[in-house]
Amino acid sequence: MRRTIVVVLCLLMAAACGGGQNGTSQSTTPKNGGSATIALENELRTLDPLDSSLLVEREVFYNMYDSLFTIDPKLVIKPGLVKQWDVADPVTYKFTLQSGVKFHDGTPFDAQSVKDNVTRYKTAANSRRKSDLASVDTVEVVDSTHVTFHLKKADATLLATLVDRAGMMLSMAALKAGGQNFSLSPVGAGSGPFQFVEWKRNDHLTLKKNATYWKPGLPHLDGLTYRAIPDVNAILAALKTGDIDVARTISSKDVAGLKADSNFVYRDMPALGFNGMELNTSAPPFNDPAKRKAVALAVDKYAILKNVYFNIGVVAYGPIPPSSWAFDGSEKVFDHGDAAKAKSMATGFTFTYKTTADPVLQQLAQLMAAELTKAGITMQVQSEDFATYQQECQNHQFQACNVNWSGRVDPDGNMYAWWHTGGDFNDSVYSNAQVDGWLDDARTTTDQTKRKQDYDNAQKQIVTDAPYVFSFFGTSAQISDNKIHDFTLYPDLMIRMAEVWKG
Amino acid sequence: MTTYVLRRLLLMLPVAFLVTVGVFLLIHLSRGDPALVLLGEDRSPQAIAAIHHELGLDQPLYVQYGIWLGRLARGDLGRSVITHQTVSDAILERLPATLELGVVALLWSLLVAIPLGTIAAVRRGSVADHLATGFTVGGVSVPNFFIGIVLIFVLSVSLHLFPFGGYVPLTRDPYESLRHVLLPAIALGTAGAAINMRFTRSSMIEVLNHDFIRTARAKGASWRRVVFAHALKNALIPVVTVVGLQIGGIIEGAIVTETVFTWPGVGRLAVESIFDRDYTVVQGIVLLAAFSYMFANLLVDLVYGWLDPRISYA
Repeated sequence: MRRTIVVVLCLLMAAACGGGQNGTSQSTTPKNGGSATIALENELRTLDPLDSSLLVEREVFYNMYDSLFTIDPKLVIKPGLVKQWDVADPVTYKFTLQSGVKFHDGTPFDAQSVKDNVTRYKTAANSRRKSDLASVDTVEVVDSTHVTFHLKKADATLLATLVDRAGMMLSMAALKAGGQNFSLSPVGAGSGPFQFVEWKRNDHLTLKKNATYWKPGLPHLDGLTYRAIPDVNAILAALKTGDIDVARTISSKDVAGLKADSNFVYRDMPALGFNGMELNTSAPPFNDPAKRKAVALAVDKYAILKNVYFNIGVVAYGPIPPSSWAFDGSEKVFDHGDAAKAKSMATGFTFTYKTTADPVLQQLAQLMAAELTKAGITMQVQSEDFATYQQECQNHQFQACNVNWSGRVDPDGNMYAWWHTGGDFNDSVYSNAQVDGWLDDARTTTDQTKRKQDYDNAQKQIVTDAPYVFSFFGTSAQISDNKIHDFTLYPDLMIRMAEVWKG
Repeated sequence: MTTYVLRRLLLMLPVAFLVTVGVFLLIHLSRGDPALVLLGEDRSPQAIAAIHHELGLDQPLYVQYGIWLGRLARGDLGRSVITHQTVSDAILERLPATLELGVVALLWSLLVAIPLGTIAAVRRGSVADHLATGFTVGGVSVPNFFIGIVLIFVLSVSLHLFPFGGYVPLTRDPYESLRHVLLPAIALGTAGAAINMRFTRSSMIEVLNHDFIRTARAKGASWRRVVFAHALKNALIPVVTVVGLQIGGIIEGAIVTETVFTWPGVGRLAVESIFDRDYTVVQGIVLLAAFSYMFANLLVDLVYGWLDPRISYA
């Protein structure tokens, strides 16, 4: 009975996604066949979720591998390879798996696959998934379709984590067959809508339709080709010449032009990531909270969004984006730029802002410097090559750094590592016992109302203390030719092609 | 002759050793950390430490160098720190594109330089000479990336005569391959063409003043025969020297041109690897560049012997 309900639910979901739900483009009856070429902003480094760290890699993975869980465009956790779940207590998660799922190499997906994959992610020397799965103690195989995750401590973010790479299931036989070159040629490893064909670095990556995909009727396309085009202008040119069908990003200045062209589709929604600058609270001048606040007051987010990003995006007041259930639109500690108020807080000091040589980031730096001048604050811009800048910001060798975040499905991913004392991304060396308490509590409580309250409190305090000056949230966009249909936009920037068709 | 070549090859080893020390120190002492590049948004102190350990970056520099040199002695350049691809695969994959670009650029530079240089020398002070000299000054002083950008703007963007950037392998479609390679090759080869033209002209002028030219003329040989059969071959010795250095410098010159034209060759791989602090790949490419210089020099010395029989290495 339970299974029937789930199957019906799945079918309803599939139907809803094809029917113009929020985030979905207009559609008629899907056509099968054809292939789509998708632009990637950089070349991939690996095709193994185990050691992946790039957004573009995750984008390919979502079409090749299945995760234990999925999300809908509103970030609600939905079934994936896990059909049903039951949180018996905060440290025991019981999962019922889809049955009859096969990997592309023909081997079956079952409870043992889950255990083997999680063990591999947790123990392999080169695994980047260890911290994702740090809360997982053991995975117990109950029978072929049931597993139980035993946690070391309560972890409200577990299911969201299992949507992404840490929850992607690979065929152990394919891993073994691939050997040392697996990450370059993962033949037969996934169970997703498309399967790996070949990857010629710096040229193309090809996937073909998984004809025996476990979700009935999907995918519609016969194949996908990915091409790395590391220049936004070249991406737009390739879209216009028909060399690519879909892109994730183009330059903000070109959006209006593309929207006006009926041959193309551009639509967007707020993404999960935030943009702004981090201030080092452990060294002068920003060990003085008044100076941090003065900068937060003087920078005009609206001017940045309008002048540098052509209003593509949403003004940010804190780290949690409007796409999240934890978003609170009423919190506006710092709103429009206010030079007079900033001056009353602190003025007459100088600081150095580190960024890269990217032309748009240079414009941003110039605009901010001009605004800060109005408040009597001198901002010197120091441009460095990416690896140097990255290392200096991480090692707290800075006064101000332009560091942005691509965002995570669970609000914890936008908060904990950044502002908890000693957090992995706490470059600002920010520490506030109250904030630590709220963030810890939100991590271990499964009650969403309670968690939202925690995040509201923490967010307000962080913004007021200003270890980070928030400017805007980015967007997740459909940028394609008009032959692409049933493209569902997700805030996590991932381009999921299973339901997309061409015609 | 064989002994000479063998001795020269052996002499390359100490030079290569110094190059390896230099490049190893330079790239390892520069700021930036491949672990951070690798981890991106997944960075954590544990993950950084794990990668340092995995790559051996937690060892003292001389130990890291020793390990790398030991592998190199067995012909193993190691694996890319960033992509795990073997360095030799990474370079070999990109080498055909760079060679195609380099060869066409060199052909372009010689096809322009030798006839122009000869004409300028034979008709000294003529309009042709002045034009050729003007070309030289321009070719040497305008940087190749600028020539590249102008070519792209005029011939690809405005006139749509040539594709903008990109590479088509010669084996896939020779015609398209040539269409794609022409603009970057002109951008890369023009400075060389200017220098080669200058050398051809001055060397030719010198040779034309030699006694044997007068003798050849006195024997009744035609002016054309004198210029092309007697003078040119002798005039080419200094040209061969610079061309040799240019062959060795193909990778170096291609770094900028390949970036401008998004040409997937070794030069761009070098740039990407430097930005990513991909130590092993950078080391492999610099070593390759050093060896190409050394081999080009050896080749030049051997060609001398062919051009001028008085030079003998026996």
